[in-house]
Amino acid sequence: MTTPIGSERPDEAPLETLMFRIIAEIDVAEARRAARHIAGRHGFKTVQAYGFATAVSEIATNLVLHADRGGVIHLTAALVNGIPTIGFTAEDDGPGIPDLALAMQDGYSTLGGLGCGLPGTRRLVDTFAVTTRPGEGTRIACSLTRI
Amino acid sequence: MHSLGRILSEHRDAVIDSWIERLRDDRGAGVTPSASPRVLRIELAAFLDALTAFFLSGIEGTEDSFREVASQATIISSARARDGYTPAQTATLVMSLKPVVSAVIQREAGGLSSELLETLAHLNATVDRVALVTFSAFVETRERLIERQSRALLDLATPALPIWRHIVLMPLVGIVDTQRARQIMEWLLEALTREEAHIAILDVTGVPVIDSRVALHLTKTVEAARLLGAKVIVTGISPDAAQTLVKLDVNLTSMITRGTLRAGLGEAFRLLSADGQAPPSKAGF
Repeated sequence: MTTPIGSERPDEAPLETLMFRIIAEIDVAEARRAARHIAGRHGFKTVQAYGFATAVSEIATNLVLHADRGGVIHLTAALVNGIPTIGFTAEDDGPGIPDLALAMQDGYSTLGGLGCGLPGTRRLVDTFAVTTRPGEGTRIACSLTRI
Repeated sequence: MHSLGRILSEHRDAVIDSWIERLRDDRGAGVTPSASPRVLRIELAAFLDALTAFFLSGIEGTEDSFREVASQATIISSARARDGYTPAQTATLVMSLKPVVSAVIQREAGGLSSELLETLAHLNATVDRVALVTFSAFVETRERLIERQSRALLDLATPALPIWRHIVLMPLVGIVDTQRARQIMEWLLEALTREEAHIAILDVTGVPVIDSRVALHLTKTVEAARLLGAKVIVTGISPDAAQTLVKLDVNLTSMITRGTLRAGLGEAFRLLSADGQAPPSKAGF
């Protein structure tokens, strides 16, 4: 198993959870729209909502491009120590990320992308955790606390 | 199953009448008050005739004659998919033939017999098989409809407008996915050539989120335009988008960006006069 990066925020009782099956680009768009709305519903400012939606978009796009059978994204909203916090998890049983440290570097891309998906997403959220096993899949969990 | 076929052909009109009656009584079935009674009767008759021919064609019924039944069912089903009936209504329309024909057969047989049960089982199996055909035809029609609509939307969404001599404006509205991005590039390059434009303004105000994927598509479009000798000005990047793009660390230095379309147009004019082209005050259409 590749060394995981980051640690997930412990589970809180969610205020709401939405699930998205991500297979094609159109699913990415739907999850992204929902991400923006969930942020808005819980009082996040537009810039945070935009960043969160972008983070979801980046990771969901990865599911479409890299996990052969797509994956699942859960969007959640919860109160963490009384503060509204939104988050998402992305899970797939795709090929896994062979070199996670490399994939987390800016500008590294295997498919001719810009190479800022994973590292960029990490900068957009407050907590970021990846676990990946070659041949078994990847799990990414992120959260963002309301400013 | 000759006897089934014989009964159906002998009682053809009675079966159609009671079938229509049944459909009218059943609120969940595939008939709305607005449906034309004449069209319905023609549809059902054609279907019933094909079914009768199928039962007459042999013990098990031949594949050729079933294909005719399936094709009639497909016609009925596709028409309903287009008219906005629900799948349940459409399935009910075919399934309701079972009780109608059962009643006729039982009246004919005049009592329970093993032959009757066998006939009914055969009827049920055949109608079920047709119901499956109906369902897939329904879904197929809806899918074709959706595909047609999304193609129509796609064509609508990306106009390239010559707004000034040598300047083409392309406002992007909606999701920029791979297919759309390919189209944007194609149409922009085509417009640049057609209008002999030096400058293209891509306005992204209507793009919901600019992530690295969209940025990649934009970068490629800008690069392709540059190969044609044109400059691209990207306008309409919101403050939220700008802050997010900086965190993502997307490199957009290859393109000229302006916050608003107005600022972009100003920049376009400045570039034109710097190129020695007619300044806006003298340029016309």
